[in-house]
Amino acid sequence: MQDLITSTINTFDVRAQYPDSDAMNRLENYFKSGDLRAKASLAISANAKSIITKAVAKSLMYTDITAPGGNMYTCRRYAACIRDLEYFLRYATYAMLAGDPSILEERVLNGLRETYNSLGVPIGGTVRAVQAMKEVTADLVGTEAGKEMGVYFDYICSGLS
Amino acid sequence: MSMVAELILNADSEARYLGPKEIHIFQDFLSSGEQRMRIARFLAENESRIVQNGTNKFWERCPVTPSNSGVERKTNSCMRDQGWYVRLIAYSVMAGSEKPLEEIGTIGIKEMYNSLEIPIRNIAECMQCLKEEAVSMMNEEDAGEVAPYFDFIIQSLS
Repeated sequence: MQDLITSTINTFDVRAQYPDSDAMNRLENYFKSGDLRAKASLAISANAKSIITKAVAKSLMYTDITAPGGNMYTCRRYAACIRDLEYFLRYATYAMLAGDPSILEERVLNGLRETYNSLGVPIGGTVRAVQAMKEVTADLVGTEAGKEMGVYFDYICSGLS
Repeated sequence: MSMVAELILNADSEARYLGPKEIHIFQDFLSSGEQRMRIARFLAENESRIVQNGTNKFWERCPVTPSNSGVERKTNSCMRDQGWYVRLIAYSVMAGSEKPLEEIGTIGIKEMYNSLEIPIRNIAECMQCLKEEAVSMMNEEDAGEVAPYFDFIIQSLS
């Protein structure tokens, strides 16, 4: 995986250059945001279960998807859905700490759409749930950190669709 | 790989969030970012001076060497490589880890220079001169951050 520091280094190393002033500014802002990111990560890890519960209640629970014939009907499927949402939340938090989405690409999105399609998991419902997690997380961690987390939730959604 | 990536991959291998101790390490690392960025900027701005002075010192100590043989191409290649090592050290200072330096510039370094028929001991001496020049332009704290990376290159040549 890459973080903002290593992705900057890799970008500029192939050109045999030092990072330009834009890249240096991005890095400086990243370094300054350490406390914000650390606090957000701690808050999310302490509340991970309730984030998922609230997000599911907001997006999936009272729709046809949980009714007989829906893709979340049967406890086994429901549990699998919850598990996947937990993965998304944890990896989005990693990516937020790293300031870079590459870990999402490598460990979550790679082949996920194909897997979901072959299992009949609806992409639309998944995206709605991730968007709901984005809102619930922003309520928890505040606007600034919520916005940064939102970047990675959106990254998951665009990788799925 | 930087320290941040290391912390994340370690937590991921156990499928958990970063713990309080790891979060502390993360915060400390990011809060030292300002100093590390300043050093990286300094190295970028002074690369050519460090390389020029380092080369002069190197030729004084080690006059019989390919870069001092009057073949312009060899002199240019040697100085280009020195500049590259200064740049890789700037990367490593930014990352707070020797990994960038190692992955780009020290794994295979002996084999490469041996194959180029450049004496390894001369390269080590050259790196020593670069280090002395770089460190002499910095305050003690910044020098202490940079010097170990030069030593890392020198060790990889021994």
